[in-house]
Amino acid sequence: MPPKFEKPQVPGMIKGLGVTFKEMVNTLKPDSKGGGPVTVSYPREREEPAPRARGVIALYEENCTACMLCSRECPDWCIYIEAHKYLAPPRREGGKPRAKNALDRFSIDFSLCMYCGICVEVCPFEALYWSPEYEFSEFNIKDLLHDKERLGEWFETVPAFEPYEAGSEQKVKKVPG
Amino acid sequence: MTALSDREQLTSLANQAADSRVNLEFETEGMTLNMGPQHPATHGTLRILVKLDGEQVISADPMPGYMHRGYEKLCEVRTYPQVTTLVNRIDWLGSFANEVPWILAAEKLMGIEAPPRAQYIRTILFELSRMANVSLFLGDLGIQLGGITVGFYAFRDREHVLNQIEAVTGGRFHPNFDRIGGLKDDLPKGWIAETKKAMEKMRAFCDEVEDLLFGNEIFQKRTRGIGLIPPHVAQSYGLSGANIRGSGVDWDLRRDACPPGLVYDKADWKVWTHPDCDSFSRSWIRLQETREATKIVDQLLDSIPSGPIMAKVPRIIKVPEGEAYVATENPLGEMGYYLVSKGDLNPFRVKIRSASFNNVSIVPWVCKGVYVPDVITILASLYFILGDIDR
Repeated sequence: MPPKFEKPQVPGMIKGLGVTFKEMVNTLKPDSKGGGPVTVSYPREREEPAPRARGVIALYEENCTACMLCSRECPDWCIYIEAHKYLAPPRREGGKPRAKNALDRFSIDFSLCMYCGICVEVCPFEALYWSPEYEFSEFNIKDLLHDKERLGEWFETVPAFEPYEAGSEQKVKKVPG
Repeated sequence: MTALSDREQLTSLANQAADSRVNLEFETEGMTLNMGPQHPATHGTLRILVKLDGEQVISADPMPGYMHRGYEKLCEVRTYPQVTTLVNRIDWLGSFANEVPWILAAEKLMGIEAPPRAQYIRTILFELSRMANVSLFLGDLGIQLGGITVGFYAFRDREHVLNQIEAVTGGRFHPNFDRIGGLKDDLPKGWIAETKKAMEKMRAFCDEVEDLLFGNEIFQKRTRGIGLIPPHVAQSYGLSGANIRGSGVDWDLRRDACPPGLVYDKADWKVWTHPDCDSFSRSWIRLQETREATKIVDQLLDSIPSGPIMAKVPRIIKVPEGEAYVATENPLGEMGYYLVSKGDLNPFRVKIRSASFNNVSIVPWVCKGVYVPDVITILASLYFILGDIDR
């Protein structure tokens, strides 16, 4: 049986007004106990999202081998990859020329993207990263198709991976470059 | 239980009166009122066709389907890891809780069990999403009854929980963090201490709501004795979650049938029930559940074991042939996935049993004979989310 709901001594409405008054006083001045306003006036101030926040996908082009895994695993198939093969000069003298893939096109359509992070997770060569940037809205929906140059620009905003909590056996990954 | 049977008799009498009601004095016909699809009391696009006689409701007919997105069919053309990100969107306020039964069903078929550390973190995130969901309910309840302040407080304090979810999963609303055989990533440094602070704030929020809303005489007048659902009716309509516990049925899947993969038995907590069966009791149960959830999280945070977070799982996930049904106690009630696999990359058939669909099915029964403003209270206290009804 739950405890019987006792009739409050103070009338409930006055008690409620006390709560709102306390909150009003609390939000007037910032203090160490979490007082002050709870909102920020956005265009002038910005809230920093957590480093893991999934804001926008960044591409580190050098690592990409055009294996198409991200494009296949994407739940709504919004990654477009085109590539061609070429023969790179051999590493050592007298060796064979190496066949390599060069990216022609790597575009993510952010108007379709669900920000699920599967592409970043499945990438075996660590070419894709999450950046917590979120200010890339556009007036035209076509401009949300970010090509590889634009995705490469996002790479500069990728934060370093955080260390893990005690008791974890995961290895902290590193952002290249 | 004598008081209850009296009330039951009264309710049935009121229902009979509403059924046989003919306004002889004026010989007026009933009025048909469309609540929705955009009525603010419906949390989305539920349409309720209400037939009125004066101020009294003769019949209320919910018409779901305006937000049907066909998840059961979408799941059939996606691989198992891809489905996780889809089912996030079913109950969008407590989205991590949607992933868990799906993953557990797939794990059951594959015969995998997540490592203990992953199970603990999974349970903690499950309870965090419950808090994010139910705290918004408490604010929303105030908004429906004309007290907007509670709504603002709820949005403010839900942010503490959402920040914790974002810090570990990367998404505020759509975590997509649960994986077959474990979790995507481990906790970042300093998360446990931050979460404990957030739990303190949530407890303070619960006290605030109790003072501001539940002690308020107007709120009590508008919810007590309104929307009575006797236990046997609640059971026969398949209500679950706080709605059935608000009818005095002591039934909680977390305690009674916790599927392997969640560690509710490791924490000391209580299932609250309330014998009053009205809107107030359902809301009060949810307030107590938020408090219990903070307790569960606090206890589990203290005892997270160390170790890996991922079991050995093949890189390409193929679930062996078979069928499985796994249900968990989600913020809204029992949510389960019936998964049929033919051994492919994709599931052969998925049936989603979501709580809100059953919870809203009682609206025609419970709204019969009540007054129009009470419809809002009853809908708010039943607490459904449209994505959860229509899927």
